[in-house]
Amino acid sequence: MNPVIINMESLCRHYEMGEQTVRALDNITIEFLRNDYAAIMGPSGSGKSTLMNIIGCLDTPTSGIYELNGRNVAEMDDDELATVRNREIGFVFQTFNLLSRLNCLKNVELPLIYAGVPPEERHERAENVLRSVGLGERLTHKPSELSGGQIQRVAIARALVNKPSIILADEPTGNLDTATSHEIMEMFGTLSEAGNTIILITHEEDIARFTRRIIRLRDGRIESDEGR
Amino acid sequence: MKANLKLFRYETEENLKIAIFQIRSNKIRSFLTALGVIIGIVSITMMGTAINSIDLGFEKSLSMLGYDVIYVQKTSWATMGEWWRYRNRPDLKTGYAEQINRIIADNPDSELEIAVPQISTYQAMASYRDRVLEQVFSLGTNEDYLQTASGDLAAGRFFTPGEAAGSDMVCVVGDDIASGLFPGENPLDKKITLKNRKFRIVGVFRKQGKFLGLFSFDNQIIMPLGAFEKVYGKNMFITIRVKIKNEKHVTEAKEELLGLMRRIRRIPPGKEENFSINEQRAFKSQLDPIKNGIAAAGIFITGMSLFVGAIGIMNITFVSVKERTREIGLRKALGAKRRTILLQFLIESVMICLIGGIVGLVTALLITILIEKVMPDFPVRFSFGLVLASLAVSVLTGVVSGLAPAVNASKLDPADSLRYE
Repeated sequence: MNPVIINMESLCRHYEMGEQTVRALDNITIEFLRNDYAAIMGPSGSGKSTLMNIIGCLDTPTSGIYELNGRNVAEMDDDELATVRNREIGFVFQTFNLLSRLNCLKNVELPLIYAGVPPEERHERAENVLRSVGLGERLTHKPSELSGGQIQRVAIARALVNKPSIILADEPTGNLDTATSHEIMEMFGTLSEAGNTIILITHEEDIARFTRRIIRLRDGRIESDEGR
Repeated sequence: MKANLKLFRYETEENLKIAIFQIRSNKIRSFLTALGVIIGIVSITMMGTAINSIDLGFEKSLSMLGYDVIYVQKTSWATMGEWWRYRNRPDLKTGYAEQINRIIADNPDSELEIAVPQISTYQAMASYRDRVLEQVFSLGTNEDYLQTASGDLAAGRFFTPGEAAGSDMVCVVGDDIASGLFPGENPLDKKITLKNRKFRIVGVFRKQGKFLGLFSFDNQIIMPLGAFEKVYGKNMFITIRVKIKNEKHVTEAKEELLGLMRRIRRIPPGKEENFSINEQRAFKSQLDPIKNGIAAAGIFITGMSLFVGAIGIMNITFVSVKERTREIGLRKALGAKRRTILLQFLIESVMICLIGGIVGLVTALLITILIEKVMPDFPVRFSFGLVLASLAVSVLTGVVSGLAPAVNASKLDPADSLRYE
């Protein structure tokens, strides 16, 4: 059996909204293993974005345990979290979040700068990973010169470039048409087969169907967790 | 440690690129923001230059008095305006100079070199044919005068010991007298009239300029002591000019001269002396507080303009942080630490300030050159120290004005920032 990458026990995330306490996540206990390919689903307000932020170390739980690769992330400070995000997590966003003034290579190099990788090596690694997502011909193009699918592939390349433990994709196909969405999902499939751990958030059933595990959230709790 | 340093270098390189990009892609905004700093730096450097120039003019004036000459007079320069304290003092005598010279001749360890008598009046009137000059400074002395005074002769010579001893009616005149009475003519050997007495001009001084803008050394007529007394009488203002051997020993020399004068005047110990020993430092001690006051007020007022510039930068950096909230969120998600984001915005504001500072300095330099061209007499000094100080002030302004927005940016929550529209 694959080793556990993420271990959450009785994890809660509460927000104080005036007098009221919003239980965005309520007593979540879940594990993700290496090479998992999972989709987190749920209606809006179910807590899937909050869970995503906590898995991605963009947010910390109010209570409970969150172990990432055996380290308790819940107790880390901002800078330690930044290092964890840099080393362990590759983000793919619905809105791509590429910097429009930089070309593909420079966008993909960005995480490597914060990892302290020397310029030549940055360049080489970014180029290789862009080739692996099929953008070898578009290295010096700017995002504005690319199609939506190509932009998302640049973003995936950026997520992959620092060899993270997990790729975390937040509605990665939300801004793409059906054909391109399927193209991107096939790419995630390929990456999964190559041994990557992928967790994505979606509210589309046909997108979730590409994955091997579907976790459904409702009102901050896990409603179902089905492997396939 | 080494890896950390490397990381810091890469982050800083990235931050510099971001700053350059931001400034270049927001040209008008960057220019307007920098304008505040430009105006601030121009006014501060101009103020600094003005203060330097006052200093320069002041030094120049003091050097006319001579750093190695001290003056025995009835009144003190250090307490100008308190004339009543000196009113009852007995007048000095020109003969003191000779007495002093005799005493120092017997003392090889003396700090004093030579004493020269001077008797003078501001109220002289000089004429040549139909041309008349009023308020001329007329001065009687002996042939050693030049040893105790600044100024070279442009033409002719100073009067000789023989002429001095014989009280000959000869004189040496300043540049203003020469050009005032003899425009376009050679004044040498011409005879000017002072109170119905004819004086032959034997020498002309080179132009020296005004002392503190008040008193002109070019407005003097210098003649033998005896000749002066024949024209104006003996009851004029007397000064004993004493040249000292080493200007570093002014204090000791003053002490020695004080003792000598007390001896000559027979003032018993414990009794206050009834004369004053003056030197150029007395002016300095009088004028320095005024000069410093002007400098402090000037720097404060011009500093306000830089402060306004700093507020402009702070404001625009806040806007810039707001605009790039998503980018900050993204960078944090990709692993940028607080310090990286903090430095990103600090570098940007410092860069704007530094550019503003350099443009301001160049502008100030051009203005200075213009002033020099238009008013050659006005002493301007644009010092290297001022350049360094301005650049340091620019950087400091950048740090101070960028700090609050940068700290703000560094503390942004990455999850919220990524969702920011």
